[in-house]
Amino acid sequence: MANVTFPFPFPEHLIALLPEMVVAVMAMFLLLFDLFIPKERKVLTAWLATATAIVAGVASLQVMGAGTMVAFYGMFVLDPFAVFSKVLICAGTALGIILSIDYMKDEANVGEYYVLMLFAMLGMMLMVSANNFITMYLGLELMALSVYVLVGYQRDTLRSSEAALKYFILGSLSSGMLLYGVTFLYGVSGSFDFKLIGDALADGGGSARAATLLGLVFVVAGLAFKVSMAPFHMWTPDAYEGAPTPITAFMSVAPKVAGFVIFIRILVDALPAVQQEAEMILIWMAVLTMAIGNLAAIAQRNIKRMLAYSTIGHVGFVMLGLIAGTSEGYAGILVYLSIYLFMTMGAFAIIILMRREGIQGELLDDFAGLSRARPGYALAMGLLLFSLAGIPFLGGFWAKYAVFIAAVQAGHVYLVLYALLFSAVGAFYYIRVVKYIYFDEARVAFNFNDSAVMQATVVVMTLVIVMLGLYPDPLMGLCASAVAGLI
Amino acid sequence: MLESLFFYMFGGLAIVSAMGVVLARNTMHSVMFLIFCFFNAAGLFLMLDAEFLGIILILIYVGAVMVLFMFVIMMLEINTAKLREGFLQYLPTGAVIALALLIEFVGASRAGVFSQGAKATAEHFGREVNNTMEIGKVLYTKYLLGFEIAAIILLVALVGAIVLTLRTRKDAKYQNISAQVNVRKEDRLRKVRM
Repeated sequence: MANVTFPFPFPEHLIALLPEMVVAVMAMFLLLFDLFIPKERKVLTAWLATATAIVAGVASLQVMGAGTMVAFYGMFVLDPFAVFSKVLICAGTALGIILSIDYMKDEANVGEYYVLMLFAMLGMMLMVSANNFITMYLGLELMALSVYVLVGYQRDTLRSSEAALKYFILGSLSSGMLLYGVTFLYGVSGSFDFKLIGDALADGGGSARAATLLGLVFVVAGLAFKVSMAPFHMWTPDAYEGAPTPITAFMSVAPKVAGFVIFIRILVDALPAVQQEAEMILIWMAVLTMAIGNLAAIAQRNIKRMLAYSTIGHVGFVMLGLIAGTSEGYAGILVYLSIYLFMTMGAFAIIILMRREGIQGELLDDFAGLSRARPGYALAMGLLLFSLAGIPFLGGFWAKYAVFIAAVQAGHVYLVLYALLFSAVGAFYYIRVVKYIYFDEARVAFNFNDSAVMQATVVVMTLVIVMLGLYPDPLMGLCASAVAGLI
Repeated sequence: MLESLFFYMFGGLAIVSAMGVVLARNTMHSVMFLIFCFFNAAGLFLMLDAEFLGIILILIYVGAVMVLFMFVIMMLEINTAKLREGFLQYLPTGAVIALALLIEFVGASRAGVFSQGAKATAEHFGREVNNTMEIGKVLYTKYLLGFEIAAIILLVALVGAIVLTLRTRKDAKYQNISAQVNVRKEDRLRKVRM
């Protein structure tokens, strides 16, 4: 404490925070800007928010230096890994905003909705650049707090408020667990910095082992909640069902990226000394997650709820990359999350389009006969669902391939066989939706509100998935180079 | 000697009042116990020469947060009997988890730095070290980024709370300031021939 000298040196490499600064300033600007534009032109706020997300993604690419850049006295790190995940997060947010434009236009206070999405994105960007528990936790809370509000945005519908309340209470509890774990790790290492904790535990882990393990368990539990791993998944179906559909899409993608990235950082930098134990915990959680996600999804009649369980199932598959604990595994996680982003956004875009007069368009029955009414959408939805199921030569296949191969190389053959089994179970409920679309009679008239933006989103997402399915090498290469400096 | 006496007093009372928070039947009593618990925690902070943290705890948590809690609880109508439904049903699971956690905590707190006389690790800096100034020095320099993010979190909390509660009611009367400013004499005054 006493060695702080004044004037304190000006923070180095401030440029590394340029994307975050752009987002923070633009979010605050939009908060004010929105007050001064009339209600019928609120769409301007949405487009400015989209532009901010895109600019932030591009800026992240621009500021990336040759290696690792550390700013704010070691509180913030910018490496290729962080940059890649930031681009994913920005893409997820931009798509989430685009999906919202039509859906939210009749809601009250729609301007703040986009501002909160930007703040959530800011939190995630800070989170993936964190190399210590302080920045990580603050980024996490910024993200979580914004998302709680977004989930409850349709406050006049009961299920939205209920979802937000459940998510908020369980989320706060999990933040408490995370912090409790962090205090134990601080207690044994005297530092919040991931690398310093790793160093302190590497040579002196022995006598403080029990406390370290307790810290590990609580940190893993807290983070597992955020990425909805079983048995910390209980909030997911309710929150996904109650949230406005674009927010469901957003929160099934972007926070998962941030959560897994910080998971990787903590496991690699802070807790390599207890990797064995972490692996064991993760294996059992993965076994549970895959089973619960894929089995419970079969029983769902509401497609948002079904996709919520499907997210849990996918999280189980992504965990294989964590369990592998190798560069290939971590690269596989990035591959998985990137492809998952496109699949999910495309599928949710179609679900949003299904909303029509008097019908939410969320029940599986509502999809019956879609192929005769709108063959284009039916084809796109079919491709996206096949991809989610992991049918070969669509994007989703390569996502699974990347993590499965990494896990096999790390010696977890039985776990991968188990994952393959549940992958097959998962295929059942995805393909059941395709059955509704192609082989069932339409019960309600389709009356699509064809907004050009939504159509373009569906087309682009589907094309990306098909193209990634045919030619996944560039993405795989990119992900491999993103994690290159990590271990 | 005197120090450990105070330590056990504050620590013991903190534990007792924390138990009270959970066990009290009346929610209001729980809040009171929580306030008492905060006072004891503040006492522990003072014993560690962390007078700034101790005072902040009382000022912010007791003075602001808990008072707000009380208002909220007074406004809510809470049926404690209903809350306690199913208590026995969940008791076995809860008890097993609590027991497992207790064993873990005891095990963890006997290991490593926690075991080597925990009080010895808290150094006494003496009166020449100004606690508040030292915190300020690191808060606005080394931890500046965290400080800034915390500021944004507060902004989000503010915006979120307003967004979720503000609703324009048709039947409520509002001031239209521009209409008031733009009002002309002719609108309000009417010359009446007497």
